Amino acid sequence: MIRDFLFSNPRINYIKHSMDVSMMRHEVISNNIANVNTPNFKKQEVSFEDQLSKAMDAESFRGRKTNPKHITIGAGSVSEVKPKLITIKDQSMRNDGNSVDVDEEMANLSKNTIQYRTLASAMDNELTKISQAITKAGRV
Amino acid sequence: MSGFLKSIDISSSGLTAERVRMDVISSNIANANVTRSENGGPYRRQMPVFSLRDNNSKFFSSKNINNSIPEGVSVVGIAEDDSGPRMVYDPSHPDADPEGYVAYPNVNVVREMVDMITCSRAYEANVTAMTSAKNMILRALDIGAKA
Repeated sequence: MIRDFLFSNPRINYIKHSMDVSMMRHEVISNNIANVNTPNFKKQEVSFEDQLSKAMDAESFRGRKTNPKHITIGAGSVSEVKPKLITIKDQSMRNDGNSVDVDEEMANLSKNTIQYRTLASAMDNELTKISQAITKAGRV
Repeated sequence: MSGFLKSIDISSSGLTAERVRMDVISSNIANANVTRSENGGPYRRQMPVFSLRDNNSKFFSSKNINNSIPEGVSVVGIAEDDSGPRMVYDPSHPDADPEGYVAYPNVNVVREMVDMITCSRAYEANVTAMTSAKNMILRALDIGAKA
């Protein structure tokens, strides 16, 4: 039980996974901004949170896998949710066929940075809990 | 190019591209009245051609198609504007043709100034993206510092 708490704490893994996705989203937004003047460039987005919340809702409603080849029953497990890269092709507001809206990208950039920092704080909390369990146990 | 510093590399490719564009615009403005160029005739307006810098490993891209984030922007070349020169009647000019018209570059300074503003704003956007990336990475390095 202690081992689970220290080394396979699901919350730490969720947070880590979300931070990785947040970093990937930052790369995608940076790429959209870098290509703001590239003709016919289509902006990209990362889709992750919807699938994550679906997977978390269905947490109790899932076929148990004892072999990686088993077919998924219900939603996949939370750690299996992969971020999806979506290219948005339909909307273009400019003559050169580029679909990047800088205002939108800058807003997404701020949102994503805040989200990342929130996740980093959450990670700090989890680690503090472990540290307290190790050092403060048995004391009042 | 990979790992946690990739977003900085992407933004820096954007900075490089915008700086090249700014150089080209400066050259256009500086040469707006040049009637003698290397190829003879007036200077021609130049423009940079940007292209998406894609992953080099196209061969394996089907395997990880969901995660192949392109790697910024690259300048593939500088193109010349083929539109005709601006003809100005000035018979006393040494480069005037027999009818007295001088061929001036096809540079529209107003257009160059507008391009310069968009270029400058795009540069700032890339700087902001890079600053955010730096903040995120530095915050990640702080995880567990107080635990």
